[in-house]
Amino acid sequence: MATETLTAMDPAGLKAIGAGLAVGLTGIASGIAEKDIGSAAIGAMAENESLFGKGLILTVIPETIVIFGLVVALLING
Amino acid sequence: MLELKQMNRAVIVGHKNIFEETVDALHKSNLFQIEDFNEDKSGLHIGRPFENVDAVSKKLIKIRSIASLLGVEDAESKKQSKSAVLSSLDDTLEKLDAELDVKTEKKSQLEAEIKEIDSLKKELLPFSNISLDLDLYRGYEHLSVFTGYVDDNVESAVSKITSSYEIFYDAKEGTIVLFVAKEKSDEVTGLLADYGFREIRVPQISGMPAQALSEITSKEAGLIKQIESIDAEIESLKDKYADFILASNELLSIEAQKSEAPLRVATSESTFMIDGWVPEEDFPKLEQIVKTATNGRAFVSKQEMTKGDENVVPIEYDNPKAATPFQEIMDLYARPKYKELDPTLLIFISFPLFYGMILGDIGYALILLALALGIKKAVSSEAIKPLMNVLIYCQISTLIFGVLYGEFMGFPLASLTSHGETVAGLIPGFATMDLFASPIGGEMITYPVHRTHLVMTLIVFTALLGLIHINIGYMLGFINENRKHGMSAAIMEKGSWIVIELGLLLAILGYAAVLPAATTYAGVVVFLVGFVMLLKGEGIKGPIELPSLLSNSLSYTRIIAVGLSSIYIASTVNLIAFEMIWEPGTPIGGATIGAIIVFLAGHALNTVLSIIAPGLHSLRLQYVEFFGKFYEGGGRKYNPFGYIRKYTEE
Repeated sequence: MATETLTAMDPAGLKAIGAGLAVGLTGIASGIAEKDIGSAAIGAMAENESLFGKGLILTVIPETIVIFGLVVALLING
Repeated sequence: MLELKQMNRAVIVGHKNIFEETVDALHKSNLFQIEDFNEDKSGLHIGRPFENVDAVSKKLIKIRSIASLLGVEDAESKKQSKSAVLSSLDDTLEKLDAELDVKTEKKSQLEAEIKEIDSLKKELLPFSNISLDLDLYRGYEHLSVFTGYVDDNVESAVSKITSSYEIFYDAKEGTIVLFVAKEKSDEVTGLLADYGFREIRVPQISGMPAQALSEITSKEAGLIKQIESIDAEIESLKDKYADFILASNELLSIEAQKSEAPLRVATSESTFMIDGWVPEEDFPKLEQIVKTATNGRAFVSKQEMTKGDENVVPIEYDNPKAATPFQEIMDLYARPKYKELDPTLLIFISFPLFYGMILGDIGYALILLALALGIKKAVSSEAIKPLMNVLIYCQISTLIFGVLYGEFMGFPLASLTSHGETVAGLIPGFATMDLFASPIGGEMITYPVHRTHLVMTLIVFTALLGLIHINIGYMLGFINENRKHGMSAAIMEKGSWIVIELGLLLAILGYAAVLPAATTYAGVVVFLVGFVMLLKGEGIKGPIELPSLLSNSLSYTRIIAVGLSSIYIASTVNLIAFEMIWEPGTPIGGATIGAIIVFLAGHALNTVLSIIAPGLHSLRLQYVEFFGKFYEGGGRKYNPFGYIRKYTEE
């Protein structure tokens, strides 16, 4: 009779994978969102330099996505 | 507090024969911002510039072109007296101009010569390996001369056509010089075409090519040396006259500003009317200055401010001196409008607070503090100074939080025992003290606060901090709205948010059984009342923005999240350097140096990140979460008619 090997998933490992996915995927999402805003903001700044402040703010708005990802990762590990 | 400077609209009227005196006095006072006059049907006309305008602008153009030619840059220098500069201005300017003219002319002449030599050099190069006097290339009656490039040696092919020829071939350059009798030239041309012949011109000089080449090369070197010496002379002119140029540029700019002032002013046949703005507190001073300058013959009057005026009032901040660097942060977003509150003082507190909470490391605080102080001292630029001051405030806050968190370059200062394991701290014998249990996540609040062990508590704490910050924003919004559109609009648009929050709070406390269950229903009712108010105040836009209450306050959790990422980078660097590469206590060797390099490079990187990440995130919390609640901005900068003298004095 063949012996069946039982492999148990280590919960700590799964947690780490989950946390990694949370940060990684949200990071990609932020990047995708910021690339369009960023290039548009640079374009606007080329026309009018005083738009730097507004451009900067608009560019970092999607940063929240990855921050939430980071918070979720911390919660998973917490 | 939180108010901008009150401004007055003022009109100065007088007879044209005191026009210059009035403009002169206004310019000197540097208080009055002239509102440009646009011609309309009132019968008034734009004034004519004062008589000296042509002479002044001519000189100004000359001095500016000289300045750009010499590359004179703004520099700190001793102030010169106005009369001294003025008396010598014409003579010195003429002398400088003449001197410079001679030098630049000489220089361009030399440069033209070099260009000529360069092209001759290019022409000579193909012949350099053929030792045949260049005179022998031309002036034959019965001979044809072919000079050019060919792909291969054509000698054997030519010899088949004719036996009377002379050929020079340079295999390296691929150049041939071929002499044949004229009657054979057509045949030879056909032959050469098969070998890919490309004709080149023979330089119009005499002598051996190689010798000529070396001659002109040495001539060129001499010319370059001459140019260098002229450059050095120009440089010495610059050193000699830099102060004069800066001072006279300033004086002439001032004169030009004054002479052109009438172009911004309404005039009739014999009177002028200067319209503009002055800070309320300075109005009596302005009146006094104009009266003294004109013996009371010009009349200054205060105007009633109309609704339309409120959109064009120039804006001047009115903050305590300590908070002024933060005006720079306001300007980066937008200046406030005249009726708005000026939040600079609040930014002065909250920006460094958030920055410090995020970074919170004694080591980085000290490094960046030294850096900011150093740059402030080294750079005299007016644009950099306020930013360095902001950085200094932020580092003081970072230092305080660093002591609270007990962190130094990612190392904990105090040892920490958790789950029976003790992690040593940097200071021997300094152990973490338990203070009290946090209500969240079963965590223990300690001193120093170990952020890595208090994640849950700090997430909730920062979100609550955010809620407070946002509500301050709503309150400021309430005041702004009340000023702009009255009390009812303020209650509907901004008060409704506070009602909604109150409703939510009651409902949650009731649901969580902290308060009796009935409060849940009361909370729901209060929430609905707030919801209707919001709908009335903001329209459909209001309810759409409702979830932002949650997302905005959660956004403040970045304070802990970004802070933790900074700690992890720092402690990872420490781990790689002092555990993986070299462990303190083991023998010192090559690995020690490696560890130190990794340590320095890693922390240098993290120091740069320590300006960018906390700075940007703290800034964003102000701009997006906080300003979004009340701030509009878009005011015009107060820019009075006058000049801040740097190089001259009266």
